[in-house]
Amino acid sequence: MTNSLNDIRHAKSMIFIGSNAPEAHPVAMQHVLHAKEKNNAPLIVVDPRRTKLAAKATDYIRIRPGTDAAFMMGLINAVITNGWEDKEFIRTRVAGYQEMAAVAVHYTPEVVEDITGIPAAEVTRIARILAENRPTSLTWCMGGTQHHIGSSITRSFCILQLVLGNMGVSGGGTNIFRGHDNVQGATDMCVLSDNLPAYYGLSDGAWKHWCRVWDVDYEYIKGRFPSKDWMNKKGFTLARWYEGVLQEEKIHQDTPIKAMIQWGCGSNSNSQYFKLKKAYDMLDLLVIVDPFPSMAAVMSDKDNAYILPATSQYETSGSVTSTSRQIQWRNKVVDPIYDSKDDYTIMAELVKRFGFADEFYKNIKEIPEDITRELGRGSLTIGYNGPTPERIKKHMENWHTFDIETLRANGGPCDGDYYGMPWPCWTDEHPGTPILYDISKSVAEGGLPFRNRFGNERTYESSGRTEDQLAAPGVFNPGSEVEGGYPEFKDVVPGTNWKTDLSQETLKVAIKRGMAPFGNARARCVVWDFPDKVPIHREPLHSPRPDLVEKYPTYKDKENHFRVDTRYESEQNPELYKKFPYVLTTGRMVEHMGGGAETRSNKYLAELQPEMYAEINPRLANNLGIRADEMIWIESPEGGKIKVKAFLTERVDDKTIFLPYHFGGMFMGESLLDKYPKGHEPYVIGEPGNICTNYGYDIITQIQATKDGLCNISRA
Amino acid sequence: MARMKFLCDVERCIDCSGCVVACKEGNQIPVGVNRRRVITLNQGQAGEKSISVSCMHCADAPCIAVCPVDAIYQREDGVVLVSKKTCIGCGYCFMACPFGAPQFPKGAAFGARGAMDKCTFCAGGPEETFSQEEKKLYGQNRIAEGKPPLCAAMCATKALLAGDADVVADVYRERVFARGSGVNAWGWDKAYNKK
Repeated sequence: MTNSLNDIRHAKSMIFIGSNAPEAHPVAMQHVLHAKEKNNAPLIVVDPRRTKLAAKATDYIRIRPGTDAAFMMGLINAVITNGWEDKEFIRTRVAGYQEMAAVAVHYTPEVVEDITGIPAAEVTRIARILAENRPTSLTWCMGGTQHHIGSSITRSFCILQLVLGNMGVSGGGTNIFRGHDNVQGATDMCVLSDNLPAYYGLSDGAWKHWCRVWDVDYEYIKGRFPSKDWMNKKGFTLARWYEGVLQEEKIHQDTPIKAMIQWGCGSNSNSQYFKLKKAYDMLDLLVIVDPFPSMAAVMSDKDNAYILPATSQYETSGSVTSTSRQIQWRNKVVDPIYDSKDDYTIMAELVKRFGFADEFYKNIKEIPEDITRELGRGSLTIGYNGPTPERIKKHMENWHTFDIETLRANGGPCDGDYYGMPWPCWTDEHPGTPILYDISKSVAEGGLPFRNRFGNERTYESSGRTEDQLAAPGVFNPGSEVEGGYPEFKDVVPGTNWKTDLSQETLKVAIKRGMAPFGNARARCVVWDFPDKVPIHREPLHSPRPDLVEKYPTYKDKENHFRVDTRYESEQNPELYKKFPYVLTTGRMVEHMGGGAETRSNKYLAELQPEMYAEINPRLANNLGIRADEMIWIESPEGGKIKVKAFLTERVDDKTIFLPYHFGGMFMGESLLDKYPKGHEPYVIGEPGNICTNYGYDIITQIQATKDGLCNISRA
Repeated sequence: MARMKFLCDVERCIDCSGCVVACKEGNQIPVGVNRRRVITLNQGQAGEKSISVSCMHCADAPCIAVCPVDAIYQREDGVVLVSKKTCIGCGYCFMACPFGAPQFPKGAAFGARGAMDKCTFCAGGPEETFSQEEKKLYGQNRIAEGKPPLCAAMCATKALLAGDADVVADVYRERVFARGSGVNAWGWDKAYNKK
């Protein structure tokens, strides 16, 4: 999120695509509605479903699932065709614009209509609304990312905002609402298989940096691996871990996965969930750490699972990071109840038994404060070093002194700070950065240019043009010594750069000179190391439009994609829709959360949403002879099937089936209730929607494609 | 003296049921008894609107008029309460109420009557303020603590307003003024050919 939830109050228009905030982010809605009421800001909602957010929209646009990139490129093309682009912003702060525009020109309103189902006139009309009501705040969520072209779709959102000049300004930005408590924090700590904390990657330099932070010998860490090359290889992702067990597709690892820890993980959020059943049965050891027995706890038929009862967030304390990049401190409300232990204690017990407690806890004596201190000291890339536990707690104690509009403390002990010190917060005196890439403020006061990350110059393959990647002369933050673009800082302390200088001297020198430690560059529209250098539309792997599969085919199959071969071309069968004619998409309901283990164990939430269902348009239901509230079977091309209640509603169109994904405790028509530990059964069980979500993974990130699969339905 | 009122701003209500859960959790209401619920009209269609409804604490409350045992009464601040020790659970108030506010404990086939339960505006009941008996029968007495009802306090979008009717009206009036201009004004789309 480049801006903050509060900053949406300053938007002059808003566009939400693949986001249903009233269900997924109800608390954020106060700011959205504020902008709508106070600024008369149009609220444009683009979604396959007429959602609860659509009910609040000024303009609702129904889009065919998986065609977001085509719509975005269409908007970009309409903006350019009509001369509505921000020419000065593009000239001075954007790279690869011409090369991008040459691709966008294909997406005329008529082409967009054919791909997306959005009338051509609507494409131009929406582009005009955005052009006439700047700045626009753009929000997307999992509806934008969970596609096999998710990485292209999300880039197309960013490019639209660059073309309109909506980046680095209050009321603008790309504001991706994070889906769970502290997801931003988890992301920043890179609970991922291809990164060390704070996006350092897996290079030798990254390992050496963190070894210095941990105060642990690099050779010792190296010795923990069977050989050094495994240190630099990406691991499996959550989306595909089960292939590491099943090996239905070739894996690139010496042995299959034999043991697994799922810590605070709703496993039924995995797509093709029925395949996980086999994997759970084959594991030698499964450890589940959760306040409630999750779906994984009842999946295995083998006696191979252990459940460690963890506390809820109310029984522990520590720092967490919000969607607005704000770091907050959470205080313990009650001591852990029953036999549960907090995550720190469970981790400590594990580490002790593994025998590396001395190394692990070298800098960590006072828990959790020292953890925050250590991760902050190392996470220089994103400026986590400024928010010390003392500063975070001070913010919490004085939050009444922060302004709701600007997030800045007006007087009091935190005077001048932005609430939660939104990262990057470069030093222990820096106020935090409330809006990323904002050149209207000095770096010391929370301003920033675009980061210099991809070299200083580039020759584009498509055009042969060479372009300076640094910002144009005249683009700089107030007080900057260099009045234009400049590269990132290095060798201030010889042999280090701004990311690896643990003395933080580099950061201080940069800020003293009025400059950003990471340089001052252009935002790029061309990503030369991606298969699609400029975002283009590619039909969903399982598409209801064989004609478009031919025109916009998927990628070539990808070998060793996070250790497992992944099918694209060989999976995209244009005839599939004949047997599986309906588009299947999934999403949230406000009453339940993630895999639902916690919320389905709450009697009041269970009462409000007691049953799994599928949304079906009444017209489709009538054509198939399905009556309201009848049980139906939904089947996926892969062989997943679920028996659920038919909920007739016009939220979906007559080609689309929607499933909420929070239910569990049922499996392909069978109840698993007797497998829960006695007395710990959830109040509500139901079929996981993800049993029917299809094959399909993003070409870069491997995120699962849950929003644009196919299915068939029949009366049960 | 202030008169207590609820107002649910339908332009703000996002149908999240936060008010319902706050009420139930905070007052320990049994499953099946709904002092408050969110009603959605035209679900999934253009013009979908949601509204959170409970006892409206009517100035001239029909439930009071029809109660055969005078179990229902109105406080000076307008809050309508029931004495569960007097109530015979006949359901006359249920027939009279335009909002379906009176609730009865679940029972067998014909809906066993028990003492009526409904929204107290988080003002407890006729028992001694802050007593265990009051809490057990009616839930919290937040009004006596100087706090707003749980539902309105919880509301994420401030759709549900509760308190002195004059203050509630001021808040709502300001919102309506803001909405009645610019793109939100009636006829704007036709006048400026925006649709």
